[in-house]
Amino acid sequence: MAGLTDVLAVARPRRIELSTVLCSGVLAVVALCVVFPLVLVALQSFQVAPPGQPARYGLDGWRAALTEPGLRSALVNTLTVTFVRQLLSLPLAVLIAWLLARTDLPGRSWIEFAFWAAFFLPPFTVTLSWILLLDPEYGLINTSLGKLPFMGTGPFNIYSFWGIVWVHIVTGSLTVKVILLTPAFRNMNSAFEEASRVAGAGTLRTALRITMPVMAPVILSVLLLGTMVSLQTFEVEQVLGLPFRFFVFSTTIYDLLVTRVPRYDAATALAVLVLAAMLPLVFAQQWLTRGGRYTTVTGQFQSRVHRLGRWRWPVTCLTVGVVLIVLGVPVLFALLGTFMKLFGFFHVQDPWTLANWQTVLGDELFLRSLHNTLVLSVGTAVAAIVVHALIAYIIVRTTYAGRGLLDLVSWLPFTVPGIILGLALLWLFLGVGFLRPLYGTTALLIIAGVIAGMPLGVQIIRSGLMQLGGELEEASRIAGASWWVTYRRIVLRLMAPTLLAVGMITFVGAARNIGNFALLTTSANRPLSILQLDYVAQRKLEEAVVVACIIMFVSLAGALLARLLGLRGGSLG
Amino acid sequence: MGAEPEISETVLSIDGVSKLFGSAPAVDRASLTVRRGEVFTLLGPSGCGKTTTLRLVAGLERPDAGEITLRGRVVASVSHRRFVGPHKRNLGMVFQSYAIWPHMTVFENVAYPLELRGMKRALVRDKVARVLDLVGLGGMEIRPATLLSGGQMQRLALCRALVYEPDMLLLDEPFSNLDAKLREQMRLEVKLLQRRLGITVLFVTHDQVEALSLSDRIAVMHRGRVEQVGAPRSLYEQPASPFVRDFLGQTVILTGRVTTLGSDHGPAGVTVQMSGALAGCTLAGRTASGALAPGAPAHVAIRPEDILVVPDGLVVPDGLVVPDGQVSPDGSGRREANQLLGTIDALSFVGDHYEARVTLGGELSIVLFLPRACEWREGQRLQLGFPPEMVSVWPV
Repeated sequence: MAGLTDVLAVARPRRIELSTVLCSGVLAVVALCVVFPLVLVALQSFQVAPPGQPARYGLDGWRAALTEPGLRSALVNTLTVTFVRQLLSLPLAVLIAWLLARTDLPGRSWIEFAFWAAFFLPPFTVTLSWILLLDPEYGLINTSLGKLPFMGTGPFNIYSFWGIVWVHIVTGSLTVKVILLTPAFRNMNSAFEEASRVAGAGTLRTALRITMPVMAPVILSVLLLGTMVSLQTFEVEQVLGLPFRFFVFSTTIYDLLVTRVPRYDAATALAVLVLAAMLPLVFAQQWLTRGGRYTTVTGQFQSRVHRLGRWRWPVTCLTVGVVLIVLGVPVLFALLGTFMKLFGFFHVQDPWTLANWQTVLGDELFLRSLHNTLVLSVGTAVAAIVVHALIAYIIVRTTYAGRGLLDLVSWLPFTVPGIILGLALLWLFLGVGFLRPLYGTTALLIIAGVIAGMPLGVQIIRSGLMQLGGELEEASRIAGASWWVTYRRIVLRLMAPTLLAVGMITFVGAARNIGNFALLTTSANRPLSILQLDYVAQRKLEEAVVVACIIMFVSLAGALLARLLGLRGGSLG
Repeated sequence: MGAEPEISETVLSIDGVSKLFGSAPAVDRASLTVRRGEVFTLLGPSGCGKTTTLRLVAGLERPDAGEITLRGRVVASVSHRRFVGPHKRNLGMVFQSYAIWPHMTVFENVAYPLELRGMKRALVRDKVARVLDLVGLGGMEIRPATLLSGGQMQRLALCRALVYEPDMLLLDEPFSNLDAKLREQMRLEVKLLQRRLGITVLFVTHDQVEALSLSDRIAVMHRGRVEQVGAPRSLYEQPASPFVRDFLGQTVILTGRVTTLGSDHGPAGVTVQMSGALAGCTLAGRTASGALAPGAPAHVAIRPEDILVVPDGLVVPDGLVVPDGQVSPDGSGRREANQLLGTIDALSFVGDHYEARVTLGGELSIVLFLPRACEWREGQRLQLGFPPEMVSVWPV
């Protein structure tokens, strides 16, 4: 081909096209918002001077992060909680996903939908609900069990390591895995299983010897994704860990930054350590999904289900029980909690009241936060639709050389724990002169919300665009439509439900986000999600649960709408 | 003066066009011209660059070298840094997936290109109705496009591409998603429609039956290059390269060495001494391309349907009886000299004919189609006649 290369070397002057410039602009902005702040965080960890004093560089922050007992135990606690909750939730999630996708479990489509809804429950609200049940003194389960003759006091304490693990499992660890694994199991070619059945293996043996090994890369990938998701929240530890001085990395970073003399160096050093620890997970997950290891489970084919036979009803009871725990209990008790005179005290005389709602709805603070949340959520949703669609379009439809990089950068926020992304953005907006005026505004939170929702939003639009196929657009171009007319009349029209769904879940994400916003809010831009946290800090649990309940219903409505718009678990992975 | 009508007849000319994907050329300095009113086909195996060539013509890809001219207008030229977008080329295209817009009705799909051209509503309605009638989709205007069957979608795609009377119709493997019966029917319909409207068609396919039956001219592509351009029959009978010869139809290939050039079959005649299992036999044929010298190794090629098959021991048509078990030993080039003996090794009845694997000289086997009219059986010995005018000899 030397001949051709020579011809081209002469005949092909480097042309710089407008589209390349535009794509590079998008890449630059996204990188500025995602990568640059993380670099700033890394640099900051070497800046040891206290705030307000001239910069001085040293290793004090790192020394603290590696040697101070409080910081070290935070890392150890993070590892232990993460490991234990993944270990406990994975087998159950695999079992449920398999039941939903590969068996004739009665009502499986409803159960799957319930897990979808449960995935959207705000962890903060769920935490409050479980406090009602498992508080060591007044928790309903504890007081009920305490009445039994052989029980002295209630056996459960939610303010403990196991309490935190439990709430984590029921808030996210389980549901996210179920909604990611179920479509994957459903898409598996049933011929693998049928071959095993024909060869003489029973349902259980087939599941263990064929289904699980075939699905192993998917399961592992979901495990890694689940681990990353699980590090996004920090409110569970913030609410349940503080009373017994149990800190994980996120609550420690928060603690280091909101004290009177913030220790930026130690906080950022801790953040860098956590990010470094995430790297192997990121690479492993990318390796699993990009390397074509899914080839055995793609394609079009009939996917038949197993009959559960006599296991049908026990298994149904188990699954419905899990649904009640992850969805029913939190929703019911969050609602009950809002009507309690004293949060958690069921046994007092006449415990019910409407006063909490009246207090909160009449509170000026609440109304301002509600306003902030509405502006924030609508703004985030609109901005996310535009930005995420643009990024996804460049990745899928153009031949822009940097599209792989753009893909990676847009996925990066997924791997950055919420509190660290918040910290990084804080640094970007305090450290870069012309961005400083944005600090304390809702615009800053909108940017944070768009970045936080980017991995999911881009992924969903991207898979929608790939399903759409390029030929529908090309047919329009050939028929005589310009790029813009084609984008308006074909792409946007066909993608409308997907874009609305993305807007919906970004709306919900912004309304309930705590981890990303905790470090970015001031009294001026405080949204509802941070207000409820502040209520808890002031021990105003009755007010907190009302706000939490409002956020929960907004989340559930968003989840339902997104589902009606055609969003399924499969497009999230 | 003589060149004048030639130019007006040319609808499309591609001149030295290349397209790289990464550093690999998908199209490698391809040149061809398409004349008004003809069906011109790009034929080749997958990955040969035919679809990329079509997309370059459509304006969906930008060439890395060369020039594309549509009706005298340069639409893409690397040296002049000129590129006309697909929406300004006035072409019609039917995609492999049909690309029927699912959010529009049948009417809206066809009306879309007319609307873009600013046509009045009444005229649009009239034109759409007429073109839908043309393919038998009349009365289906308000139906959602997603409710059509595969064949109907194909027709709709055709309507949408034809309704604005484009300068040329581009067809990208349009029949590959249809089942065999429907494919044949659609092929015929498209051919009739093309003849009726007199529209110029650039057609891409990997299916040689489709190409041979639909085309006025075919360009066979291989590794991004145009191997040969010609009418279907001349390509089939006079392939210019081993690739074209092997890609189109079946070919029986035997090996040997050239003994004499320019025999009594004319200056192009050549005689080959067979080697291997057929050592001792000679076959005469014509040279397919130059570079053959006495003593040089050569391939002898013939279409299996051109081999005259007679059960052994019977009288061959020109009255000669070949003695049992022997191939005429002399290489004189006389007709009976061009015969080999074979044995039916495996025989299968496939409906309209028999397919037989025939061994030659005990080792070499070829596949022949035998007529249903005779009785055949496995183990039967055959006389195979290789008419010299049907045999071509190629350098190895």
